[in-house]
Amino acid sequence: MKKTTPLVLGIDAGGTMTDTILVDKQGNFAVGKAPTTPNYESEGFIESAQDATNIWNLDINKTFEELEVALYSGTGMLNTLLSRTGKRIGLIVTRGMEDAVLMGRGLQSWAGYSYEDRLHAVTHAHPDPLVPLSRVRGVTERIDHFGQVVIPAYEHEAVSGVKELLEQDIEGLCVCCMYSHVNPEHELQIGEAARRVFAEQDIDIPIYLSHHVRPIIREQSRLNSTLIEAYATSQGREQLLGVETAAKQHGFSNSMQTMLSYGGLADVRYPRLHETMISGPVGGLLGARHVGELVGADSVIVSDMGGTSFDIGAITRGKVPIEDEPTLARFKLNLPTLAMDTIGAGGGTIVKVDPYTHKVSLGPESAGSVPGPVAMDMGGTEPTIADCDAIMGRLNPDNFLGGKVQLNVDKAKQVLKEKVADPLGVDVYEAAEGMVNMLEMEAKSSIESIISSRGVDPGEYHLMAYGGSGPLHMAEYSRGLGFKGVLSFPFAAAFSAFGCTTADYLHRHSQSVHIMTGPDSSDKDREEARRQINEIWSELDSQARSELISEGHETDAIVCEPFAMMRYTGQLEDVEVAAPVTKLESDEDLDKLTQAFEDLYEQINRSVSGYGTAGFTIMELGLNARVEKVKPELSRRPLGSKNPDPEAAKGKRSMYYNRAWHEAQLWEMDMLKPGNVLEGPAIVEHPATTLVIPAGDRVRVDEWTILHYEHGEDTQNSVGNVL
Amino acid sequence: MNDAVENKAIGLKEQLLENDRKFQETGCYAGITELKYREEDPLRYESLHTKLRSMSIAAREMARSISASPGVREVGEMVVALYTPEGDAISLSTGIMVHVHTMSRFIKWMIQNGYEDSPGICPGDVFANNDAFIGTVQVPDVMVVIPIFHNDELVGWAGTVAHELEVGGITPGGDVYLAQERFTEGLFVCAEKVGEKDELRRDYLIRLERNLRMPIYWMFDDKAKLAANLELRDQVKELIDDVGLDYYKRATREFIEEGRRAQLSKVQQLMVPGRYRGHTFYGHLTEGKPGILPLGDENLLYSIPLELDVGGDGHMHLDFEGTGSWGYHSMNCTPAGMDGGLFVTLTQSMNFEGKVNDGAWLATDMNLPSGTWTNPDRHTVATATSWALLLPAFGIFQRLLSRGFVSRGFKEEAFVGQVNSPMVEMGGQSQYGSQFGMAMFECSAAGSGALGIKDGIDNGYVGWNPESDMGNMEVWEQGIPMLYLGRSIAADSGGPGSNRGGTAFTSLWLVHNTDEVTIATSEHSSRVYDNAGMCGGYPAPTAHRHFTVRDSNIQQLIGEQKPLPHTLGKDPYTSDFDRLVEGEKKEVEGPHIDKPLKAGDLFAHSYNGGGGYGDPIERDPLDIVRDVENGYVTPEIAQRTHAVVLEHDEERNAWRVNSEATEARRKEVRNNRLNKAMHVKDWIASERERVLEKDFVTEVHKMYQDTMSISSQFANEFREFWQLPENFTM
Repeated sequence: MKKTTPLVLGIDAGGTMTDTILVDKQGNFAVGKAPTTPNYESEGFIESAQDATNIWNLDINKTFEELEVALYSGTGMLNTLLSRTGKRIGLIVTRGMEDAVLMGRGLQSWAGYSYEDRLHAVTHAHPDPLVPLSRVRGVTERIDHFGQVVIPAYEHEAVSGVKELLEQDIEGLCVCCMYSHVNPEHELQIGEAARRVFAEQDIDIPIYLSHHVRPIIREQSRLNSTLIEAYATSQGREQLLGVETAAKQHGFSNSMQTMLSYGGLADVRYPRLHETMISGPVGGLLGARHVGELVGADSVIVSDMGGTSFDIGAITRGKVPIEDEPTLARFKLNLPTLAMDTIGAGGGTIVKVDPYTHKVSLGPESAGSVPGPVAMDMGGTEPTIADCDAIMGRLNPDNFLGGKVQLNVDKAKQVLKEKVADPLGVDVYEAAEGMVNMLEMEAKSSIESIISSRGVDPGEYHLMAYGGSGPLHMAEYSRGLGFKGVLSFPFAAAFSAFGCTTADYLHRHSQSVHIMTGPDSSDKDREEARRQINEIWSELDSQARSELISEGHETDAIVCEPFAMMRYTGQLEDVEVAAPVTKLESDEDLDKLTQAFEDLYEQINRSVSGYGTAGFTIMELGLNARVEKVKPELSRRPLGSKNPDPEAAKGKRSMYYNRAWHEAQLWEMDMLKPGNVLEGPAIVEHPATTLVIPAGDRVRVDEWTILHYEHGEDTQNSVGNVL
Repeated sequence: MNDAVENKAIGLKEQLLENDRKFQETGCYAGITELKYREEDPLRYESLHTKLRSMSIAAREMARSISASPGVREVGEMVVALYTPEGDAISLSTGIMVHVHTMSRFIKWMIQNGYEDSPGICPGDVFANNDAFIGTVQVPDVMVVIPIFHNDELVGWAGTVAHELEVGGITPGGDVYLAQERFTEGLFVCAEKVGEKDELRRDYLIRLERNLRMPIYWMFDDKAKLAANLELRDQVKELIDDVGLDYYKRATREFIEEGRRAQLSKVQQLMVPGRYRGHTFYGHLTEGKPGILPLGDENLLYSIPLELDVGGDGHMHLDFEGTGSWGYHSMNCTPAGMDGGLFVTLTQSMNFEGKVNDGAWLATDMNLPSGTWTNPDRHTVATATSWALLLPAFGIFQRLLSRGFVSRGFKEEAFVGQVNSPMVEMGGQSQYGSQFGMAMFECSAAGSGALGIKDGIDNGYVGWNPESDMGNMEVWEQGIPMLYLGRSIAADSGGPGSNRGGTAFTSLWLVHNTDEVTIATSEHSSRVYDNAGMCGGYPAPTAHRHFTVRDSNIQQLIGEQKPLPHTLGKDPYTSDFDRLVEGEKKEVEGPHIDKPLKAGDLFAHSYNGGGGYGDPIERDPLDIVRDVENGYVTPEIAQRTHAVVLEHDEERNAWRVNSEATEARRKEVRNNRLNKAMHVKDWIASERERVLEKDFVTEVHKMYQDTMSISSQFANEFREFWQLPENFTM
């Protein structure tokens, strides 16, 4: 058995595969992979962890006993949302707002679109609602923006509304009232009324009050957060707890962590799980930033291609842009999130040809892990991208998932021929490459879209390509985009999981307020403002500490960093100002806070737009509660020979590329060493991923064992071979 | 030598003339006959374009975060663009695209009017304008531009425009309907130098403070615009240092020429060459309203014909010959505004990819007959609500393009498109006890016209800004002393069709925390459809009615926990105000100009939907069930107009289609149509009699009198069509 002490276990359960990365104190990695088991994620989790421990010949129980941190992030909840397979929700809103579920925000019909499609209005369309109008009831009530009750809640309407919704067999009830973030009185009252009705009928279903889920201004975003929390997270939470139970059965003594959208870790019991729904891609961003810092690439476009989706994000000069109002599955939220875009494109993406019109299309459906691609021979009947890759010899049929699955290439070929090649009247290989190129073109255009919408100059950026299918398709989706460098990793398949292991425990707590100070404020007003600020920060501080302590952290390890969301009075957008002191002891401290705001504002928005005479308004007070966590290190080794060790060579295989067969040199990924240079045509195999290098291109291994993909000057653009 | 780089020795004005001369001579922008840089090094060339566009987008995002106006922050009423020294747009952000070319006109106007000499154009200067006769659409569209100097040479302009929510006109808000001449439209800034050394001048800010009801919107917006321009300028300067000035100058001009060529190719690809004609009308119902001056005290009907000539080379020529004269109302438009309408329509239908810039505009031209509402021959004419006529006019353009798309087989591109979306404007005493003014920009999410392959966009489209949105009620309520009692889908507001027009919504407010709020809505066609359907689809209904209840018994209803009105209801004959509330009720048709409201009063307003596509009786009955169950269509219209027979399942509160009865009903409708049909020749003959006898209602008669007198071409064609005597006049 290998003498190593595993430190951190990171697991990223994608739509198709569950990837594990096991990191030891010396910075060594072991990557494990197993099919995702959507119904019982804990099974895929343990199998994937076992796969990783096997690589180091470790005993899985001993490994779990020794582990300091285990974190699990999955796309299960996001998939629930995307595939509209969540809970049957009932909704109570302020009467008159019922249509909000259909109307949404106008901008939800184009948010997340490329520059071109934003202008091209015929492409605009609203997302399908999560709750049909027939399961929405209104309760007459109104609270104004000062928090004053203008129309007391009509409780009888709440009671009848709840009863009508229960008749429709709802599995959860959401309540969203106007300005509940300022005064939650009516939401609480409606919640109580609902509980009484539930008790009478002996029904036990969860109630989600919008001011609990997201106590922030903008009713549509608050409503979206509440609905998503109710619709998509409950199954997810059961899965997370199941994963933790499985880990504990193997001897793990701490609680399982999961990843929040703003890049922090939280216990799986975290009450607002919708904050974890974009966590998979976030892991990759954190990993890219961590690696970027090590290797001096501080501006990076990340691209993660797995079995189901393709995620893209940008890091500029070490900073990951935070989106305060991100869209999740095209719904607008008020949730600080590391900015990422996602399209449905991956190895499991199903390829289709309409038998009548012969229209060729890709996905967005994925064969997932069950039934998986046809070649996996587990019942899949629709051809996927992975089948195309297998047919073209790009995937090794004997070494898929390290040989655990024998690919049935003949079967894949037969299905692709029947469903794609024959209807189109082309050769099966040509069909396979055409479909793969279509996928690569879609991925490429989504990168182009981020370049265009985020103000990225590719010449100043590195592209990092990872995910199980990333290295397989990166040659084409990155070709001709003019990046400073294109990087991938031996542990590409588990890069997102690796990224999660670089995060700290971080919880964000906040409270909406309306505190104004200005040139005309009296001393008494300023004192009152300080009192309010201190009181709220202090409340949030104890709330955050008790939450982290309940997750098993030491009191001394918790660092709380208060902040204020501030604006010049009259403005509509806030700037998040880190508090210069944790408590405003004196009048000068209040000045320090406003000065910190002005300094930051000037930095972000230029001094010409400042307007101190308008005064200052604080709209939200909050704090980030952080506990530092051990992080993995990459090991650096001197550059050696350009030629890989002879034992890294695994022979040759025919690979179809650019409408021709090439004899590709096969290499074993884990045997590559710093300094090695691999010329295409070549295929680098790893149990969890495959890197394809077409003729004319090459890959260089640097001192961190990072793979640098270099496109040849004159290589033909294979993407031109689209069907 | 770089032949497209101007001679530094000549002034801007000469440079502008020289560019025009080269365009005339070569047919290519700035005489650029080949896209040399693109051919030599396409990656470098594209990379420059990408960067410039990204800078504009980033600058706009920054400006939006500075703004105090929900119009800008919440619904994105802003655009940032980069211009050549002569004022041609090179690259632009998303947003209110309509202003990209209006700003171009403003820059050119300053150059043509000798601003180089006086007041001088120097580094650090800031210029502003909201005069539509110089270059904008209406007073609230305030633009701020700054010159970009590289060393001592003026190498371009950065410009930002936002729609202001309060402009200090005769009534509160921005689109001041009641302005009947320039003098009551609000505060004008006529191509003025409003800042120096990268700062807005204090005296300009004082002027804003003292002349507006709600100065904070305009002031913060101008700060935001200046900040965006400075950001763009500084980044462009850095970029010029990187790529070299000569490269920058030539490449940016190539972008425009490429944009021009791309537009021509796109037309060649999507359209069938030839002559397309369309027509719409606009009803203006204001006679006797409070505040209307004697000169404008009449109801009007505007005729808006449009002829589109599509050349084999892809050139498009739009001709508004035959439309009516300008009038003493606020709906007139300047050529700058018409340019804006053209530009924004092109960016949504053809010019949305590749080099989106002034090139598209250069590939088209328009005839705007002098003296008509499209080109008033007097600069004191009011244009405060020019969108009222502008949107229907370019709605025709969109439908003509769509006809071309359908003819060419691009049915998926067909879009009945833009609609008018009347705005609620208000002012008076705010909930904070101070004075306020506000234009409720929630109108920026109306229903679009239907598409060739699907229904129109519900509550999510307006013609002037493809990034349409209505914003959050919680944000709007921070700026107005009114509480939403409801914001709901306006049933039947979309035009029926096999693809239904998008629906709009109705807002209903309880006036709260104020003793006085005056509501003035902007103009919108009354009684006359101003946006049509296509291919058999019906137009969307006009929606210009406003409902108020003064001295309501709402407090009593609240105390007794009785039902309150939250929408106008689904019964077109009895509104929920009628059913549920007591008080002084009023229904105002046409623009709402009336005495102020106070706390406890109620007000309701509906926005507009779009026209339909295809025959309504061909709509899938299951889609109609979905429409009815979700409140997009009332059962009455479903049965009458779509000819479906629906049955209501009381127990499940669900609707289902009686297929057999529907089939029979639809057959009956078809037969009725056939029975009602007559030969066109016969119809023309019978109508000719009416024309000869001038058998028209007053407004129609006046409309023809006007159009025949202002356009001899129209008059001749009219006589020819109806085979009228040569001396026939109205």
